[in-house]
Amino acid sequence: MSKLVSSGLSKWFGDLQALADVNLTVEDGEFVALVGPSGCGKTTFLRTVAGLEAADEGAVYLADKKIEGPGRDRGFVFQQDSLLPWRTVMENTVVGLELAGRLDATETARVRKLLELVGLAGFENYHPRQLSGGMRQRVNLARALAIDPKVLLMDEPFSALDAQTREIMQTELQRIWEEGRKTVLFVTHQIDEAVFLADRVLVFARRPGRLLEDIRIDLPRPRNMATKRRPEFVALVDRIWRLIENDVRESVLVEKI
Amino acid sequence: MSGKAQSVVKKQGLAPWQISLLSVTSGLFVWQMISDYVIANPLFLASPLQVVKALMRLIETGELWKHVYTSGIEFFAGYAIAAVIGICVGLLIATSAFAKHWLQPWISGFYATPTVALGPLFILWLGIGVWSKIVIVFLLVVFAVIINTEAGIRSTSERYLEMMRAFGATPRQLFFKVSLPSATPFILAGLKLGIGRGLIGVVVAELFGSRLGLGRLIGASADSFNMPELFAAVSILAASGIAMNSAFAWLEARLVPWTKD
Repeated sequence: MSKLVSSGLSKWFGDLQALADVNLTVEDGEFVALVGPSGCGKTTFLRTVAGLEAADEGAVYLADKKIEGPGRDRGFVFQQDSLLPWRTVMENTVVGLELAGRLDATETARVRKLLELVGLAGFENYHPRQLSGGMRQRVNLARALAIDPKVLLMDEPFSALDAQTREIMQTELQRIWEEGRKTVLFVTHQIDEAVFLADRVLVFARRPGRLLEDIRIDLPRPRNMATKRRPEFVALVDRIWRLIENDVRESVLVEKI
Repeated sequence: MSGKAQSVVKKQGLAPWQISLLSVTSGLFVWQMISDYVIANPLFLASPLQVVKALMRLIETGELWKHVYTSGIEFFAGYAIAAVIGICVGLLIATSAFAKHWLQPWISGFYATPTVALGPLFILWLGIGVWSKIVIVFLLVVFAVIINTEAGIRSTSERYLEMMRAFGATPRQLFFKVSLPSATPFILAGLKLGIGRGLIGVVVAELFGSRLGLGRLIGASADSFNMPELFAAVSILAASGIAMNSAFAWLEARLVPWTKD
């Protein structure tokens, strides 16, 4: 089982406490969204799970193993796609396997199927500069899935996309996730995106960054555009918004100063 | 945006290359007119037609070939050694702090120094033959390559490095799969910069003392007030500079196409 457990996790950046005693458990195959105002530590939490930041206190365990650094049991989907411009779509997607020395004909065939799954069949030999923002994020996702990780870590992957493309990518991500049911940690600014995609929404608060509330989303799957108009959906978005409203207003003021 | 810009050019009725060709042709025409009617003295200025005639004569006598061959050897030997050593040293100082601090004062010093001025010294040490010129070309080219290579490695995007780290890359993999490819455009830029510097090195070094070479031809023509021959030699140098720069542009389009947009 690949349960993810954060136990007493704290993290400081200088005097600023980015994370204060975060305790949570993510079950195998759960889709968990993290929302909260800027500076609430949601991204820091994700980066700590990825092993890109070290915990100051406490720890995160994946499948009962303490996370000490980056590893190929976690696939990271970056906010800015970070595709290597000199590599084709295929070469970018296999990069994790290549680093592990696991790239062979079987794996290449599997990655080809994966590119098909994310809707990039026929684009294997394109370069990133020839792709739209939405397509680049599909490669970003396929690259993380290619290493067949236990957990998928997604850091605001759709925030740079325009509104329409983002809607499409949300349904696409849901479709892809249904295929493999991997555990997903999904950081986002957008409450409706979190409610639409997730089984659970973790609401973070700022100063210090901490887990405020853990909300179960019981909307039936598969969800579609109509889901966003259901009263339960609207009520959930409204409830989460009221939880973080004050924090968001404060953070906006701080950023303006 | 670019579509719009293109349509503006189209409205003028000329393709970009036609504009350039027209510019060169009218430049040559003005030059011909000035040397025919304004400074009609071949001791001061040769007309384009006189230059072409001189060039033909140099080709027929086989004299041109000897000069081009000598200068070519000096340039390519010095340039090739500078390219190899420059890239290696650049990579070394970009990756080792000790090497960087050990070598930086020398590199900064030599890059800022007009090393061509040391030409007479090298001729004294190494003789009047090709070796003194090779060393001067080397010195003029190598520091440009070192500095650009180092800048290229250092400017590697932190986003790419972090992405690769998240996927478990080792420091060695980071270097070969991220830093090196992302530095390639800079390395090529350094090598391109080296072409002009190297050509200057060849000519100036030969002017200081040599038996053969285009610089020697220029010096000898100037001494005998043979302006057509002087311009002929300069045209050869200009043409080879343009040819090598075009070759680099072609190479860049093939090796680092992602930098084009």
